[in-house]
Amino acid sequence: MRILSIAINTFRENLREKLLYNLLFFALLMIGSSILLSRITLGDYHRLILDLGLASINLFGVLIAIFVGIGLVSKEVDRKTIYTIVSKPIPRYEFLLGKYCGLVITLFANTVVMVVGLLIVLQVMDVPITSLVFKSLALIFLELMVITAVAVLFSTFTSATLSAIFTLAVYVIGHLSGDLKEFARKLDDVSQMAVNAIYYTLPNLDRFNLKGHVIHHLDFGMADMALTLAYGLTYAAFLLLLASVIFQRRDFQ
Amino acid sequence: MSGQGLQSPDRLVYYQKFVSRNLTTRYDHPVMSFKVISARRRYLLSFLALVLLLGASLSTQYLLEQRSHGRATKLEQLRLLPKGEILRPALLGYHQLGADLLWLRVVQVLGDRVVRDKDYEWLYHALDVITTVDPKYVYAYEAGGVVLAELAGRVDLSNRLLEKGLAPNTSSWQIPFRLGFNHFFHLGDHSRAAEYMAQAARIPGLFPIGPPHYTARLASRLYVQGKNPEVALEFLEAMLDQTTDELLREKLQRRIRRISLERDLQMLEQQIRQYADSRGRRPASLMELVLAGLLPGIPSEPYGGDYLYDSKTGKVMSSTHDERMGVYVPADSLATRGDIE
Repeated sequence: MRILSIAINTFRENLREKLLYNLLFFALLMIGSSILLSRITLGDYHRLILDLGLASINLFGVLIAIFVGIGLVSKEVDRKTIYTIVSKPIPRYEFLLGKYCGLVITLFANTVVMVVGLLIVLQVMDVPITSLVFKSLALIFLELMVITAVAVLFSTFTSATLSAIFTLAVYVIGHLSGDLKEFARKLDDVSQMAVNAIYYTLPNLDRFNLKGHVIHHLDFGMADMALTLAYGLTYAAFLLLLASVIFQRRDFQ
Repeated sequence: MSGQGLQSPDRLVYYQKFVSRNLTTRYDHPVMSFKVISARRRYLLSFLALVLLLGASLSTQYLLEQRSHGRATKLEQLRLLPKGEILRPALLGYHQLGADLLWLRVVQVLGDRVVRDKDYEWLYHALDVITTVDPKYVYAYEAGGVVLAELAGRVDLSNRLLEKGLAPNTSSWQIPFRLGFNHFFHLGDHSRAAEYMAQAARIPGLFPIGPPHYTARLASRLYVQGKNPEVALEFLEAMLDQTTDELLREKLQRRIRRISLERDLQMLEQQIRQYADSRGRRPASLMELVLAGLLPGIPSEPYGGDYLYDSKTGKVMSSTHDERMGVYVPADSLATRGDIE
Protein backbone atom coordinates (compact mmCIF):
# COMPACT_ATOMS: atom_id res chain seq x y z
CA MET A 1 0.00 0.00 0.00
CA ARG A 2 2.79 2.37 0.97
CA ILE A 3 4.63 1.37 -2.17
CA LEU A 4 1.57 2.18 -4.21
CA SER A 5 1.13 5.63 -2.69
CA ILE A 6 4.80 6.44 -3.33
CA ALA A 7 4.38 5.11 -6.86
CA ILE A 8 1.33 7.26 -7.54
CA ASN A 9 3.07 10.26 -6.07
CA THR A 10 6.11 9.66 -8.26
CA PHE A 11 3.87 9.31 -11.27
CA ARG A 12 2.22 12.64 -10.48
CA GLU A 13 5.60 14.23 -10.01
CA ASN A 14 6.85 12.83 -13.31
CA LEU A 15 3.88 14.24 -15.14
CA ARG A 16 5.20 17.68 -14.25
CA GLU A 17 8.47 17.03 -16.10
CA LYS A 18 8.63 19.12 -19.27
CA LEU A 19 11.26 16.80 -20.72
CA LEU A 20 8.71 14.01 -20.81
CA TYR A 21 6.39 15.93 -23.09
CA ASN A 22 9.22 17.02 -25.34
CA LEU A 23 10.36 13.45 -25.84
CA LEU A 24 6.80 12.26 -26.34
CA PHE A 25 6.22 14.96 -28.92
CA PHE A 26 9.31 13.95 -30.88
CA ALA A 27 8.38 10.28 -30.69
CA LEU A 28 4.96 10.98 -32.16
CA LEU A 29 6.54 13.24 -34.77
CA MET A 30 8.89 10.45 -35.82
CA ILE A 31 6.12 7.86 -35.94
CA GLY A 32 4.07 10.25 -38.06
CA SER A 33 6.99 11.07 -40.32
CA SER A 34 7.07 7.45 -41.44
CA ILE A 35 4.00 8.26 -43.56
CA LEU A 36 6.02 10.88 -45.38
CA LEU A 37 9.12 8.72 -45.72
CA SER A 38 7.13 5.78 -47.00
CA ARG A 39 6.16 7.90 -49.98
CA ILE A 40 9.70 8.43 -51.16
CA THR A 41 10.98 4.92 -50.66
CA LEU A 42 10.86 2.11 -53.18
CA GLY A 43 9.17 -1.17 -52.46
CA ASP A 44 8.20 -2.38 -49.05
CA TYR A 45 6.71 0.69 -47.36
CA HIS A 46 5.01 -1.44 -44.68
CA ARG A 47 8.42 -2.31 -43.47
CA LEU A 48 9.55 1.30 -43.18
CA ILE A 49 6.46 2.36 -41.23
CA LEU A 50 6.67 -0.56 -38.80
CA ASP A 51 10.38 -0.13 -38.43
CA LEU A 52 10.37 3.58 -37.80
CA GLY A 53 7.38 3.29 -35.49
CA LEU A 54 8.81 0.51 -33.33
CA ALA A 55 12.27 2.06 -33.30
CA SER A 56 10.86 5.43 -32.22
CA ILE A 57 8.88 3.86 -29.40
CA ASN A 58 11.96 1.96 -28.32
CA LEU A 59 14.43 4.84 -28.56
CA PHE A 60 12.24 7.49 -26.97
CA GLY A 61 11.11 5.04 -24.32
CA VAL A 62 14.74 4.44 -23.42
CA LEU A 63 15.46 8.17 -23.35
CA ILE A 64 12.46 8.79 -21.10
CA ALA A 65 13.46 5.88 -18.85
CA ILE A 66 16.99 7.22 -18.53
CA PHE A 67 16.36 10.92 -18.16
CA VAL A 68 13.41 10.64 -15.86
CA GLY A 69 14.81 7.62 -14.00
CA ILE A 70 18.15 9.17 -13.04
CA GLY A 71 16.53 12.00 -11.12
CA LEU A 72 14.35 9.73 -9.04
CA VAL A 73 16.53 9.49 -5.97
CA SER A 74 19.18 12.13 -6.55
CA LYS A 75 16.57 14.85 -6.91
CA GLU A 76 15.07 13.93 -3.55
CA VAL A 77 18.52 14.08 -2.01
CA ASP A 78 19.27 17.44 -3.60
CA ARG A 79 15.98 18.93 -2.48
CA LYS A 80 16.46 17.40 0.95
CA THR A 81 12.95 15.99 0.69
CA ILE A 82 14.52 12.60 1.27
CA TYR A 83 14.77 13.39 5.01
CA THR A 84 11.04 13.64 5.38
CA ILE A 85 10.68 10.17 3.95
CA VAL A 86 13.57 8.28 5.51
CA SER A 87 12.65 9.64 8.91
CA LYS A 88 9.23 8.01 8.59
CA PRO A 89 8.81 4.35 9.47
CA ILE A 90 9.07 3.26 5.86
CA PRO A 91 11.73 0.74 4.93
CA ARG A 92 14.06 2.24 2.36
CA TYR A 93 13.51 -0.57 -0.08
CA GLU A 94 9.82 0.26 -0.12
CA PHE A 95 10.63 3.83 -0.98
CA LEU A 96 12.88 2.69 -3.81
CA LEU A 97 10.37 0.17 -5.09
CA GLY A 98 7.64 2.77 -4.97
CA LYS A 99 9.78 5.16 -6.96
CA TYR A 100 10.52 2.43 -9.49
CA CYS A 101 6.86 1.49 -9.84
CA GLY A 102 5.94 5.14 -10.29
CA LEU A 103 8.40 5.46 -13.12
CA VAL A 104 7.18 2.23 -14.69
CA ILE A 105 3.62 3.59 -14.57
CA THR A 106 4.87 6.80 -16.22
CA LEU A 107 6.62 4.78 -18.90
CA PHE A 108 3.54 2.68 -19.42
CA ALA A 109 1.39 5.76 -19.94
CA ASN A 110 3.93 7.14 -22.38
CA THR A 111 4.25 3.88 -24.25
CA VAL A 112 0.49 3.64 -24.54
CA VAL A 113 0.35 7.10 -26.10
CA MET A 114 3.11 6.18 -28.58
CA VAL A 115 1.52 2.82 -29.37
CA VAL A 116 -1.81 4.46 -30.07
CA GLY A 117 0.01 6.83 -32.41
CA LEU A 118 1.65 3.89 -34.16
CA LEU A 119 -1.59 1.94 -34.42
CA ILE A 120 -3.31 4.94 -35.99
CA VAL A 121 -0.52 5.28 -38.53
CA LEU A 122 -0.63 1.54 -39.28
CA GLN A 123 -4.40 1.68 -39.69
CA VAL A 124 -4.27 4.72 -41.94
CA MET A 125 -1.55 3.24 -44.12
CA ASP A 126 -3.27 -0.16 -44.32
CA VAL A 127 -0.41 -2.03 -42.74
CA PRO A 128 -1.59 -5.36 -41.32
CA ILE A 129 -1.35 -5.37 -37.52
CA THR A 130 -0.17 -8.82 -36.44
CA SER A 131 0.21 -10.33 -33.00
CA LEU A 132 3.97 -10.06 -33.52
CA VAL A 133 3.68 -6.27 -33.31
CA PHE A 134 2.22 -6.59 -29.83
CA LYS A 135 4.81 -9.16 -28.79
CA SER A 136 7.51 -6.80 -29.96
CA LEU A 137 5.92 -3.89 -28.07
CA ALA A 138 5.68 -6.01 -24.91
CA LEU A 139 9.38 -6.80 -25.10
CA ILE A 140 10.24 -3.17 -25.79
CA PHE A 141 8.41 -2.30 -22.60
CA LEU A 142 10.30 -5.02 -20.78
CA GLU A 143 13.55 -3.50 -22.02
CA LEU A 144 12.41 -0.15 -20.69
CA MET A 145 11.75 -1.77 -17.32
CA VAL A 146 15.27 -3.17 -17.21
CA ILE A 147 16.78 0.17 -18.25
CA THR A 148 14.75 1.94 -15.60
CA ALA A 149 16.04 -0.47 -12.99
CA VAL A 150 19.59 0.30 -14.16
CA ALA A 151 18.87 4.03 -13.90
CA VAL A 152 17.44 3.61 -10.41
CA LEU A 153 20.46 1.57 -9.38
CA PHE A 154 22.90 4.26 -10.47
CA SER A 155 20.69 6.96 -9.09
CA THR A 156 21.08 5.54 -5.58
CA PHE A 157 24.79 6.28 -5.36
CA THR A 158 25.81 8.90 -7.93
CA SER A 159 24.71 12.26 -9.24
CA ALA A 160 22.09 12.60 -11.95
CA THR A 161 24.60 13.39 -14.72
CA LEU A 162 26.81 10.45 -13.90
CA SER A 163 23.90 8.05 -13.69
CA ALA A 164 22.69 9.26 -17.08
CA ILE A 165 26.08 8.51 -18.58
CA PHE A 166 26.33 5.13 -16.85
CA THR A 167 22.83 4.09 -17.84
CA LEU A 168 23.42 5.08 -21.46
CA ALA A 169 26.64 3.09 -21.33
CA VAL A 170 24.78 0.05 -20.00
CA TYR A 171 22.24 0.44 -22.80
CA VAL A 172 25.02 0.44 -25.41
CA ILE A 173 26.85 -2.43 -23.73
CA GLY A 174 23.60 -4.35 -23.42
CA HIS A 175 23.18 -4.29 -27.16
CA LEU A 176 26.78 -5.25 -27.84
CA SER A 177 27.14 -7.97 -25.23
CA GLY A 178 26.25 -10.59 -27.83
CA ASP A 179 29.58 -9.82 -29.48
CA LEU A 180 31.40 -10.64 -26.25
CA LYS A 181 30.36 -14.23 -26.66
CA GLU A 182 31.73 -14.19 -30.20
CA PHE A 183 35.06 -12.87 -28.95
CA ALA A 184 35.14 -15.44 -26.20
CA ARG A 185 35.03 -18.23 -28.73
CA LYS A 186 38.41 -17.18 -30.08
CA LEU A 187 40.12 -17.09 -26.68
CA ASP A 188 41.77 -19.78 -24.58
CA ASP A 189 39.75 -21.65 -21.96
CA VAL A 190 40.44 -19.47 -18.92
CA SER A 191 39.84 -16.14 -20.64
CA GLN A 192 36.85 -17.67 -22.34
CA MET A 193 35.35 -18.49 -18.97
CA ALA A 194 36.07 -14.99 -17.68
CA VAL A 195 34.56 -13.31 -20.73
CA ASN A 196 31.56 -15.61 -20.61
CA ALA A 197 31.04 -14.74 -16.96
CA ILE A 198 31.00 -11.05 -17.90
CA TYR A 199 28.62 -11.82 -20.75
CA TYR A 200 26.14 -13.57 -18.50
CA THR A 201 26.28 -10.84 -15.84
CA LEU A 202 25.67 -8.00 -18.27
CA PRO A 203 22.15 -7.54 -19.55
CA ASN A 204 21.67 -8.84 -23.08
CA LEU A 205 19.23 -6.24 -24.32
CA ASP A 206 19.20 -7.68 -27.82
CA ARG A 207 17.00 -10.45 -26.43
CA PHE A 208 14.19 -7.89 -26.18
CA ASN A 209 14.58 -6.81 -29.78
CA LEU A 210 11.84 -8.31 -31.93
CA LYS A 211 11.77 -5.55 -34.52
CA GLY A 212 13.45 -7.81 -37.07
CA HIS A 213 10.90 -10.55 -36.39
CA VAL A 214 8.01 -8.19 -37.03
CA ILE A 215 9.41 -6.89 -40.28
CA HIS A 216 10.51 -10.23 -41.67
CA HIS A 217 7.43 -12.05 -40.36
CA LEU A 218 9.50 -14.51 -38.35
CA ASP A 219 7.56 -16.36 -35.72
CA PHE A 220 8.45 -15.88 -32.07
CA GLY A 221 7.02 -18.79 -30.12
CA MET A 222 5.24 -18.56 -26.79
CA ALA A 223 7.97 -20.54 -25.04
CA ASP A 224 10.58 -18.05 -26.23
CA MET A 225 8.34 -15.21 -25.20
CA ALA A 226 7.83 -16.64 -21.71
CA LEU A 227 11.54 -17.23 -21.23
CA THR A 228 12.39 -13.72 -22.39
CA LEU A 229 9.78 -12.25 -20.06
CA ALA A 230 11.19 -14.28 -17.18
CA TYR A 231 14.70 -13.14 -18.07
CA GLY A 232 13.74 -9.46 -18.15
CA LEU A 233 11.76 -9.57 -14.93
CA THR A 234 14.39 -11.48 -12.96
CA TYR A 235 17.13 -9.18 -14.22
CA ALA A 236 15.15 -6.08 -13.24
CA ALA A 237 14.42 -7.63 -9.82
CA PHE A 238 18.12 -8.36 -9.36
CA LEU A 239 19.02 -4.75 -10.17
CA LEU A 240 16.38 -3.40 -7.81
CA LEU A 241 17.57 -5.63 -4.99
CA LEU A 242 21.11 -4.43 -5.55
CA ALA A 243 19.88 -0.85 -5.56
CA SER A 244 18.02 -1.44 -2.28
CA VAL A 245 21.11 -2.87 -0.64
CA ILE A 246 23.16 0.15 -1.68
CA PHE A 247 20.42 2.55 -0.73
CA GLN A 248 20.04 0.94 2.67
CA ARG A 249 23.68 1.60 3.50
CA ARG A 250 23.71 5.11 2.13
CA ASP A 251 24.25 7.96 4.57
CA PHE A 252 22.46 11.19 3.71
CA GLN A 253 24.28 14.28 4.84
CA MET B 1 16.61 59.13 -2.49
CA SER B 2 15.28 62.60 -3.21
CA GLY B 3 13.80 63.66 -6.52
CA GLN B 4 16.86 65.75 -7.29
CA GLY B 5 19.33 63.05 -8.22
CA LEU B 6 20.13 61.63 -11.63
CA GLN B 7 18.11 58.50 -10.83
CA SER B 8 14.95 60.48 -10.25
CA PRO B 9 12.13 58.92 -12.31
CA ASP B 10 11.20 62.15 -14.09
CA ARG B 11 14.70 62.83 -15.16
CA LEU B 12 15.27 59.29 -16.26
CA VAL B 13 12.20 59.35 -18.47
CA TYR B 14 13.26 62.65 -19.92
CA TYR B 15 16.74 61.32 -20.47
CA GLN B 16 15.49 58.21 -22.21
CA LYS B 17 13.24 60.23 -24.48
CA PHE B 18 16.12 62.49 -25.32
CA VAL B 19 18.38 59.60 -26.10
CA SER B 20 15.84 57.80 -28.25
CA ARG B 21 15.17 60.93 -30.24
CA ASN B 22 18.81 61.57 -30.91
CA LEU B 23 19.89 57.93 -31.08
CA THR B 24 23.20 58.66 -29.37
CA THR B 25 24.25 61.09 -26.84
CA ARG B 26 27.31 61.88 -24.90
CA TYR B 27 26.96 61.76 -21.24
CA ASP B 28 29.46 63.87 -19.44
CA HIS B 29 30.27 63.13 -15.92
CA PRO B 30 32.82 64.92 -13.81
CA VAL B 31 34.97 61.78 -13.61
CA MET B 32 34.50 60.28 -17.05
CA SER B 33 32.42 60.79 -20.13
CA PHE B 34 30.89 58.03 -22.28
CA LYS B 35 28.72 57.61 -25.27
CA VAL B 36 25.30 56.11 -24.78
CA ILE B 37 23.71 54.16 -27.58
CA SER B 38 19.96 54.33 -27.50
CA ALA B 39 17.82 51.21 -27.19
CA ARG B 40 16.21 51.88 -30.56
CA ARG B 41 19.50 52.15 -32.27
CA ARG B 42 20.72 49.00 -30.57
CA TYR B 43 17.70 47.10 -31.87
CA LEU B 44 18.24 48.49 -35.34
CA LEU B 45 21.88 47.48 -35.33
CA SER B 46 21.24 43.96 -34.06
CA PHE B 47 18.46 43.51 -36.58
CA LEU B 48 20.79 44.57 -39.40
CA ALA B 49 23.48 42.24 -38.12
CA LEU B 50 20.99 39.38 -37.98
CA VAL B 51 19.87 39.93 -41.56
CA LEU B 52 23.46 40.22 -42.71
CA LEU B 53 24.59 37.05 -40.98
CA LEU B 54 21.60 35.06 -42.16
CA GLY B 55 22.16 36.29 -45.71
CA ALA B 56 25.83 35.38 -45.52
CA SER B 57 25.21 31.90 -44.19
CA LEU B 58 22.48 31.24 -46.76
CA SER B 59 24.63 32.38 -49.65
CA THR B 60 27.67 30.40 -48.53
CA GLN B 61 25.44 27.38 -48.13
CA TYR B 62 24.11 27.99 -51.64
CA LEU B 63 27.64 28.35 -53.01
CA LEU B 64 28.69 25.10 -51.35
CA GLU B 65 25.62 23.44 -52.78
CA GLN B 66 26.51 24.70 -56.25
CA ARG B 67 30.03 23.39 -55.99
CA SER B 68 28.97 19.89 -55.01
CA HIS B 69 25.87 19.68 -57.24
CA GLY B 70 23.92 17.96 -54.49
CA ARG B 71 23.96 14.63 -56.25
CA ALA B 72 27.66 14.24 -55.82
CA THR B 73 27.23 14.58 -52.08
CA LYS B 74 24.51 11.98 -52.08
CA LEU B 75 26.82 9.61 -53.89
CA GLU B 76 29.72 10.64 -51.72
CA GLN B 77 27.72 9.59 -48.72
CA LEU B 78 27.10 6.20 -50.27
CA ARG B 79 30.76 5.81 -51.10
CA LEU B 80 31.91 6.82 -47.65
CA LEU B 81 29.62 4.35 -45.94
CA PRO B 82 31.53 2.21 -43.50
CA LYS B 83 31.57 -1.52 -44.05
CA GLY B 84 28.44 -3.30 -42.95
CA GLU B 85 30.37 -5.37 -40.44
CA ILE B 86 31.46 -2.18 -38.69
CA LEU B 87 28.17 -0.37 -39.01
CA ARG B 88 26.08 -3.24 -37.67
CA PRO B 89 27.20 -3.15 -34.02
CA ALA B 90 27.04 0.65 -34.03
CA LEU B 91 23.32 0.46 -34.74
CA LEU B 92 22.55 -0.99 -31.29
CA GLY B 93 19.67 -3.20 -32.30
CA TYR B 94 18.20 -0.69 -34.73
CA HIS B 95 19.59 -2.67 -37.69
CA GLN B 96 16.44 -2.74 -39.71
CA LEU B 97 15.87 0.96 -39.30
CA GLY B 98 19.48 1.60 -40.34
CA ALA B 99 18.98 -0.54 -43.42
CA ASP B 100 15.75 1.29 -44.20
CA LEU B 101 17.34 4.70 -44.00
CA LEU B 102 20.28 3.62 -46.15
CA TRP B 103 17.87 2.12 -48.66
CA LEU B 104 16.05 5.45 -48.74
CA ARG B 105 19.35 7.12 -49.64
CA VAL B 106 20.04 4.60 -52.37
CA VAL B 107 16.59 5.13 -53.83
CA GLN B 108 17.20 8.87 -53.95
CA VAL B 109 20.42 8.36 -55.92
CA LEU B 110 18.67 5.97 -58.28
CA GLY B 111 16.00 8.57 -58.86
CA ASP B 112 18.54 10.89 -60.45
CA ARG B 113 18.46 11.12 -64.17
CA VAL B 114 22.12 10.57 -64.82
CA VAL B 115 23.99 7.86 -63.02
CA ARG B 116 27.42 7.21 -64.41
CA ASP B 117 28.86 3.75 -64.82
CA LYS B 118 31.37 4.00 -62.06
CA ASP B 119 28.65 5.22 -59.71
CA TYR B 120 27.21 1.74 -59.77
CA GLU B 121 30.27 0.51 -57.89
CA TRP B 122 29.21 2.74 -55.00
CA LEU B 123 25.69 1.56 -55.44
CA TYR B 124 26.84 -2.01 -55.08
CA HIS B 125 28.83 -1.03 -52.00
CA ALA B 126 25.77 0.62 -50.46
CA LEU B 127 23.60 -2.41 -51.23
CA ASP B 128 26.26 -4.64 -49.74
CA VAL B 129 26.24 -2.57 -46.55
CA ILE B 130 22.43 -2.59 -46.39
CA THR B 131 22.26 -6.34 -46.78
CA THR B 132 25.00 -6.89 -44.22
CA VAL B 133 23.22 -4.72 -41.70
CA ASP B 134 19.93 -6.48 -42.40
CA PRO B 135 20.67 -9.76 -44.19
CA LYS B 136 16.98 -10.58 -44.47
CA TYR B 137 16.05 -7.48 -46.45
CA VAL B 138 14.82 -9.49 -49.46
CA TYR B 139 13.52 -6.47 -51.32
CA ALA B 140 16.94 -4.81 -51.25
CA TYR B 141 18.53 -7.90 -52.83
CA GLU B 142 15.79 -8.20 -55.37
CA ALA B 143 15.52 -4.57 -56.44
CA GLY B 144 19.27 -4.09 -56.12
CA GLY B 145 19.84 -7.14 -58.29
CA VAL B 146 17.51 -5.78 -60.94
CA VAL B 147 19.05 -2.33 -60.95
CA LEU B 148 22.60 -3.64 -61.13
CA ALA B 149 21.83 -6.07 -63.94
CA GLU B 150 19.36 -4.09 -66.02
CA LEU B 151 20.28 -0.45 -65.51
CA ALA B 152 23.96 -0.72 -64.74
CA GLY B 153 24.66 -3.69 -66.96
CA ARG B 154 26.73 -5.17 -64.15
CA VAL B 155 25.47 -8.73 -64.08
CA ASP B 156 28.55 -9.76 -62.11
CA LEU B 157 27.70 -7.39 -59.24
CA SER B 158 24.03 -8.29 -59.46
CA ASN B 159 24.81 -11.98 -59.15
CA ARG B 160 27.25 -11.37 -56.32
CA LEU B 161 24.59 -9.48 -54.37
CA LEU B 162 21.90 -12.06 -55.04
CA GLU B 163 24.12 -14.99 -54.19
CA LYS B 164 24.93 -13.32 -50.87
CA GLY B 165 21.21 -13.25 -50.15
CA LEU B 166 20.61 -16.95 -50.78
CA ALA B 167 21.93 -18.28 -47.48
CA PRO B 168 20.12 -15.97 -45.02
CA ASN B 169 16.85 -16.13 -46.97
CA THR B 170 16.17 -19.77 -47.60
CA SER B 171 12.43 -19.20 -47.75
CA SER B 172 12.54 -16.48 -50.39
CA TRP B 173 11.81 -17.49 -53.97
CA GLN B 174 12.54 -14.03 -55.36
CA ILE B 175 16.30 -14.27 -55.01
CA PRO B 176 16.84 -17.59 -56.86
CA PHE B 177 14.20 -16.53 -59.40
CA ARG B 178 16.14 -13.37 -60.12
CA LEU B 179 19.40 -15.30 -60.27
CA GLY B 180 17.82 -17.70 -62.73
CA PHE B 181 16.75 -14.78 -64.84
CA ASN B 182 20.23 -13.26 -64.82
CA HIS B 183 21.79 -16.55 -65.85
CA PHE B 184 19.29 -17.10 -68.60
CA PHE B 185 18.87 -13.60 -69.94
CA HIS B 186 22.29 -12.05 -69.50
CA LEU B 187 24.71 -14.93 -69.28
CA GLY B 188 22.93 -17.43 -71.53
CA ASP B 189 23.78 -20.16 -69.05
CA HIS B 190 20.64 -22.21 -69.33
CA SER B 191 21.57 -25.07 -67.07
CA ARG B 192 22.49 -22.79 -64.16
CA ALA B 193 19.33 -20.78 -64.85
CA ALA B 194 17.30 -23.97 -64.67
CA GLU B 195 18.93 -24.92 -61.36
CA TYR B 196 18.08 -21.58 -59.78
CA MET B 197 14.58 -21.70 -61.17
CA ALA B 198 14.11 -25.17 -59.69
CA GLN B 199 15.39 -23.83 -56.38
CA ALA B 200 12.79 -21.06 -56.54
CA ALA B 201 10.09 -23.55 -57.45
CA ARG B 202 10.82 -25.65 -54.36
CA ILE B 203 9.85 -22.83 -51.95
CA PRO B 204 6.47 -23.75 -50.45
CA GLY B 205 3.50 -21.39 -50.26
CA LEU B 206 1.11 -19.60 -52.54
CA PHE B 207 2.14 -16.58 -54.57
CA PRO B 208 3.32 -14.01 -53.44
CA ILE B 209 4.76 -15.88 -50.43
CA GLY B 210 5.63 -18.82 -52.64
CA PRO B 211 6.76 -18.64 -56.25
CA PRO B 212 4.32 -18.06 -59.12
CA HIS B 213 2.67 -21.28 -60.32
CA TYR B 214 4.59 -21.38 -63.59
CA THR B 215 8.03 -21.46 -61.95
CA ALA B 216 8.32 -25.24 -61.87
CA ARG B 217 7.28 -25.52 -65.53
CA LEU B 218 9.79 -22.85 -66.47
CA ALA B 219 12.51 -24.70 -64.65
CA SER B 220 11.75 -27.99 -66.36
CA ARG B 221 11.57 -26.37 -69.77
CA LEU B 222 14.83 -24.55 -69.17
CA TYR B 223 16.49 -27.85 -68.31
CA VAL B 224 15.45 -29.40 -71.57
CA GLN B 225 15.14 -26.66 -74.14
CA GLY B 226 16.80 -23.57 -72.81
CA LYS B 227 17.45 -22.13 -76.23
CA ASN B 228 13.89 -22.24 -77.49
CA PRO B 229 12.41 -18.76 -78.06
CA GLU B 230 9.06 -19.98 -76.72
CA VAL B 231 10.70 -20.67 -73.37
CA ALA B 232 12.39 -17.31 -73.43
CA LEU B 233 9.07 -15.62 -74.09
CA GLU B 234 7.40 -17.50 -71.30
CA PHE B 235 10.19 -16.51 -68.95
CA LEU B 236 10.11 -12.88 -69.96
CA GLU B 237 6.35 -12.65 -69.66
CA ALA B 238 6.61 -14.13 -66.20
CA MET B 239 9.13 -11.45 -65.31
CA LEU B 240 6.94 -8.77 -66.83
CA ASP B 241 4.08 -9.98 -64.65
CA GLN B 242 6.06 -9.28 -61.50
CA THR B 243 7.69 -6.05 -62.49
CA THR B 244 5.98 -2.80 -61.64
CA ASP B 245 8.85 -0.48 -62.43
CA GLU B 246 8.08 1.29 -65.71
CA LEU B 247 11.65 1.44 -66.93
CA LEU B 248 12.17 -2.28 -66.43
CA ARG B 249 8.83 -3.13 -67.93
CA GLU B 250 9.73 -1.23 -71.05
CA LYS B 251 13.06 -3.05 -71.27
CA LEU B 252 11.36 -6.40 -70.89
CA GLN B 253 8.66 -5.54 -73.39
CA ARG B 254 11.30 -4.53 -75.91
CA ARG B 255 12.99 -7.87 -75.38
CA ILE B 256 9.70 -9.71 -75.70
CA ARG B 257 9.03 -8.01 -79.05
CA ARG B 258 12.44 -8.95 -80.33
CA ILE B 259 12.08 -12.57 -79.29
CA SER B 260 8.55 -12.79 -80.69
CA LEU B 261 10.05 -11.78 -83.99
CA GLU B 262 12.62 -14.54 -83.72
CA ARG B 263 9.94 -17.04 -82.75
CA ASP B 264 7.85 -16.12 -85.79
CA LEU B 265 10.85 -16.36 -88.09
CA GLN B 266 11.74 -19.80 -86.77
CA MET B 267 8.16 -20.96 -86.98
CA LEU B 268 7.81 -19.75 -90.57
CA GLU B 269 11.07 -21.42 -91.61
CA GLN B 270 10.03 -24.65 -89.99
CA GLN B 271 6.74 -24.63 -91.86
CA ILE B 272 8.61 -23.92 -95.07
CA ARG B 273 10.84 -26.93 -94.43
CA GLN B 274 7.80 -29.07 -93.72
CA TYR B 275 6.15 -27.85 -96.92
CA ALA B 276 9.30 -28.60 -98.89
CA ASP B 277 9.58 -32.07 -97.36
CA SER B 278 6.03 -33.06 -98.26
CA ARG B 279 5.84 -31.44 -101.72
CA GLY B 280 9.40 -31.65 -102.91
CA ARG B 281 9.65 -27.91 -103.56
CA ARG B 282 9.70 -24.72 -101.56
CA PRO B 283 6.61 -22.51 -101.51
CA ALA B 284 6.72 -19.53 -103.86
CA SER B 285 5.35 -17.20 -101.21
CA LEU B 286 4.36 -17.27 -97.55
CA MET B 287 0.71 -17.19 -98.58
CA GLU B 288 1.11 -20.66 -100.01
CA LEU B 289 1.75 -21.97 -96.49
CA VAL B 290 -1.56 -20.55 -95.40
CA LEU B 291 -3.35 -21.98 -98.44
CA ALA B 292 -1.80 -25.38 -97.75
CA GLY B 293 -3.31 -25.25 -94.28
CA LEU B 294 0.06 -25.22 -92.51
CA LEU B 295 -0.56 -21.79 -90.99
CA PRO B 296 -3.77 -20.12 -89.85
CA GLY B 297 -2.40 -16.86 -91.26
CA ILE B 298 0.84 -14.98 -91.65
CA PRO B 299 1.73 -13.65 -88.19
CA SER B 300 1.97 -9.87 -87.95
CA GLU B 301 5.49 -8.56 -87.54
CA PRO B 302 5.85 -7.18 -83.96
CA TYR B 303 7.53 -3.98 -85.13
CA GLY B 304 4.90 -3.23 -87.77
CA GLY B 305 7.05 -4.40 -90.70
CA ASP B 306 6.67 -7.37 -93.02
CA TYR B 307 8.13 -10.85 -93.25
CA LEU B 308 10.21 -11.15 -96.40
CA TYR B 309 10.62 -14.60 -97.88
CA ASP B 310 13.43 -15.67 -100.14
CA SER B 311 12.12 -18.67 -102.09
CA LYS B 312 15.63 -19.56 -103.32
CA THR B 313 17.18 -20.10 -99.90
CA GLY B 314 14.04 -20.84 -97.91
CA LYS B 315 15.01 -18.13 -95.41
CA VAL B 316 12.57 -15.62 -93.94
CA MET B 317 13.68 -12.14 -92.97
CA SER B 318 12.01 -9.24 -91.26
CA SER B 319 11.81 -5.91 -93.05
CA THR B 320 12.69 -4.14 -89.79
CA HIS B 321 15.52 -6.31 -88.48
CA ASP B 322 18.07 -7.95 -90.70
CA GLU B 323 19.95 -9.72 -87.95
CA ARG B 324 18.92 -12.98 -86.35
CA MET B 325 19.27 -13.63 -82.64
CA GLY B 326 21.93 -16.28 -82.29
CA VAL B 327 21.07 -17.60 -78.88
CA TYR B 328 17.53 -18.57 -79.67
CA VAL B 329 18.20 -20.51 -82.84
CA PRO B 330 17.42 -24.10 -81.95
CA ALA B 331 20.67 -26.02 -81.78
CA ASP B 332 19.39 -29.41 -80.78
CA SER B 333 16.60 -31.56 -82.00
CA LEU B 334 14.81 -31.45 -78.67
CA ALA B 335 14.02 -27.81 -79.10
CA THR B 336 12.02 -28.42 -82.26
CA ARG B 337 10.07 -31.29 -80.82
CA GLY B 338 7.85 -28.91 -78.92
CA ASP B 339 6.90 -28.79 -75.31
CA ILE B 340 8.05 -31.73 -73.27
CA GLU B 341 5.01 -31.60 -71.02
